[in-house]
Amino acid sequence: MKASEGMFDESVIFVTKQGTQVRTDEGRIVVWDVDGDDGELASYPTEKLDTINVFGGVNFSTPFVARANEHGIVLNYFTQNGKYRGSFVPERNTIAEIRRAQYALSDDDELDLAKAMIAGKIRNARTLLSRKGVHGTDVLKDLGVRAENATNKDGLRGTEGEAAERYFNRLDETLTDGWTFEKRTKRPPEDHINSLLSLTYVMMKNEVLSGLRQYNLDPFLGVLHADRHGRPSLALDLQEEFRPIFCDAFVTRLVNRGVITHDDFTADNHLADEAFKTYLSKFDDYMQEEFTHPHFEYSVSRRKAIRQQVILLRKTMTGEMDEYHALTFDR
Amino acid sequence: MKASFRDELVPVSALNEYVYCPRRFYYQRYQDEIGTPYELVDGRSKHERQSRRGGWVRERYFRSNDLGLHGKIDLVESNDETLTPVERKRAESAEYYPSDEVQLAGYCMLLETALDESVNVGYIYLYSTDQRYAIQITENHRKTVREIVRHIRTMTVDSIPPLTDNPSKCEACSAREYCMPEETAMLEPDKAKGTGFEREERR
Ligand code: SF4
Repeated sequence: MKASEGMFDESVIFVTKQGTQVRTDEGRIVVWDVDGDDGELASYPTEKLDTINVFGGVNFSTPFVARANEHGIVLNYFTQNGKYRGSFVPERNTIAEIRRAQYALSDDDELDLAKAMIAGKIRNARTLLSRKGVHGTDVLKDLGVRAENATNKDGLRGTEGEAAERYFNRLDETLTDGWTFEKRTKRPPEDHINSLLSLTYVMMKNEVLSGLRQYNLDPFLGVLHADRHGRPSLALDLQEEFRPIFCDAFVTRLVNRGVITHDDFTADNHLADEAFKTYLSKFDDYMQEEFTHPHFEYSVSRRKAIRQQVILLRKTMTGEMDEYHALTFDR
Repeated sequence: MKASFRDELVPVSALNEYVYCPRRFYYQRYQDEIGTPYELVDGRSKHERQSRRGGWVRERYFRSNDLGLHGKIDLVESNDETLTPVERKRAESAEYYPSDEVQLAGYCMLLETALDESVNVGYIYLYSTDQRYAIQITENHRKTVREIVRHIRTMTVDSIPPLTDNPSKCEACSAREYCMPEETAMLEPDKAKGTGFEREERR
């Protein structure tokens, strides 16, 4: 079996070069070096794109913004070093039947979805540790079972928290000499590893958001994360299963292979400009990198696999599928 | 009441979509999820070019409450006072499909209710080969049209049609990426029972 031809892999682009403008030219989207003399830096067919992430001093021509709206292209704005600033979300015909199905989910439906996602996350956490040679993860196995049997969201959140703590306790063992991970800190990240983890979760959240938007699910209405104004709860929910196996794996790869070193960070634990560019291009490569899909047995890029999870989630919400099948790796 | 065609007329083009795959039709009808119909876009621009030639009646809209159908016939040829609908088919394919015949039958039936005389022949024209085929509209065609209209009008958002029993259709299907037929069969084998994706129990 082969993955059907997709356009997902080239559907997300990152523009990091300062002093550039994104414009349209003969039906294509072009990144133009306005401040420098390099002219056209890259161009993409409009129909293929669904997300453009821009960092810092990049601007858009007015015709381009109109085109983005017409073609349903989402623009995400970040600061030069990757802090999320906001998005331009095109008007899109709301497919009423999909939204209706999402809004009509019962508490039990939501709990079922959340259980599948959290159990998937715990499964993937174990798998990542065992791939890295960390043994003795039976507690995680038990917690996975507990997540599957949760009878309410609070219980599920408790189990999730406990599993995260156990897992992060062991994550240190996956890192090469010179790197340590003590505990997960978020605002602000207190060390370099936490900074890379936070950054990667933001990048992943945006991948998931793009997918949810493309398939017209409401990203702000979650199944487990509490809905708070302006917080894309559903994206955070769906992101859970990818955190260990894609995000944390990516971060450990970056430091273990020496792609990022301690020297790449500024005093406040942010990646310095050049290192951040390296990071982004590695992240994009990583999303396009293929692996053998554990359920479908064909080779597929991470980006496409994530979009497929969005589709499966939507099919579960509309009742086309009986349950949500998280992307889980047993080995 | 959920959206359905129950009290609405069915567009003739829907017959073709439905025959291709009822599930694909469902996605298009309720979920706006059919992918980019490149071929259709292509066909459309060709239509525009052709429509400048003379001698034909073009773009006529017909409707019939009795048939439950409506649609625009983009070309009607008039010869010796008989009128014959022409259905022109998009670029790539060098042959026409049963679904095209059904669509043509729908046009013939609409035309005959409008004229109040029988229309038993229609043409399918293929751009790719520049060939025109005269199709005899049979009682079978008519029955199929009526049945499909009935299916479409009673379709609801809550009952998704099964995967096709002819997986080769999926290869060319623009909804495939969304439909995920093989993947569905692997994840939830129940859903593939009785379709072309049913596979032997794997151990
Ligand atoms: S992929 Fe196959 S089953 Fe699915 S809609 Fe297309 S033709 Fe029908």
